[in-house]
Amino acid sequence: MPEFSIQSSVDIARRLEIRGPDSRSWILLLPSLSGGDSARIGLVADLSALLQRDVRLFDLKNTSSEHLVEALNQPNDDVAVLFANVSPEPKLWSSLDVMRSALERKGPVIFWLPADCVAGLSEHAPNIRSFIGGSIYIVGGDGGLMTAEDRQKRLGELTKRYGLTNEEIVQRAESKTLSSEPHFIEWLVLLGRGDLV
Amino acid sequence: MTIEDAVRRATALDGVLLTRIGDFTLEAPHKVFSSIRAYLIRRADETCVENNPWASLKFTTASKGVWLIAIGPTIDDGDTPDHFHFDSGARLSFGLTLQDDGNRSRLVSFRYQYNLPNGKSPSFLRFDLNRALHENPLTEPLCHLHPGLEKVRLPLFLHHPLEILDRIFFVVDKNL
Repeated sequence: MPEFSIQSSVDIARRLEIRGPDSRSWILLLPSLSGGDSARIGLVADLSALLQRDVRLFDLKNTSSEHLVEALNQPNDDVAVLFANVSPEPKLWSSLDVMRSALERKGPVIFWLPADCVAGLSEHAPNIRSFIGGSIYIVGGDGGLMTAEDRQKRLGELTKRYGLTNEEIVQRAESKTLSSEPHFIEWLVLLGRGDLV
Repeated sequence: MTIEDAVRRATALDGVLLTRIGDFTLEAPHKVFSSIRAYLIRRADETCVENNPWASLKFTTASKGVWLIAIGPTIDDGDTPDHFHFDSGARLSFGLTLQDDGNRSRLVSFRYQYNLPNGKSPSFLRFDLNRALHENPLTEPLCHLHPGLEKVRLPLFLHHPLEILDRIFFVVDKNL
């Protein structure tokens, strides 16, 4: 996927924001290889939080073009994310392409598709591909997940401050003698011990 | 009129707060994370000093659906690039833990440490929510504010993670 730029979900939200609430934007997003359902869920949460607008999801596998036309217009100004985990059937693309004018709406239409869908989209829905134009991006970024190094660094700060080892913290939690102050709760979470929180 | 009466009143207050917290739910943890990140991105847009909440706000998960959302160091031992910086010269770090509860979540604990600029008094404010009631709620209420003194804890009734940020960004920092 070298020809498309990598953008974070915040970058996508910024683009939509600049274009305005009635931009009639059509965008195609390709999850990075490490993406998947969690990346899509994160995208929806980020768009909703940053744009302060409703975001609706439509699974292309479980919908018809007629249903989409109706749903996208009721209402027609929120953010619609049309997703598929595998390439949609050519028949669906063709049907959507024929009804492309009926799919036009004030709010943005975002396709969330695996990268191997781009060829099928171009072949079977050339008009929709035209609507999208150059607005194709790979959604990347770590999404804020702490790395093992991040966690070790924080655990090191706690050990240094309180003069206790991770093992001692676990023992105190197990014996219910651990302080319930926020630092100690975080300590358990950083150790992965949500069961002791 | 005795300290025992004061402890009794503080215990009653914590009892009310505990019930409120028990009844209080937030959105799912990943949505809370996105909301806080969006909030901080908006605030970063308003500051001249550079901040990058996209990179510095982090989360991790543990067993039983417990989440930690944090920015800045866990222990504030001085300024770091990971703090959120204010034009006033103040800095902010925080960590909050949530319990995933299906499509919702519950607050487990939080700490928001706002360090005032050098030379200002008090030197810091810290908003804490403990996991459980303390044996002496008079000296350590469940939810409290440290007004620059580690051993002084004044009771608080703020719960939503954004409410604390509202007070820090729009009240405290604006009035330095």
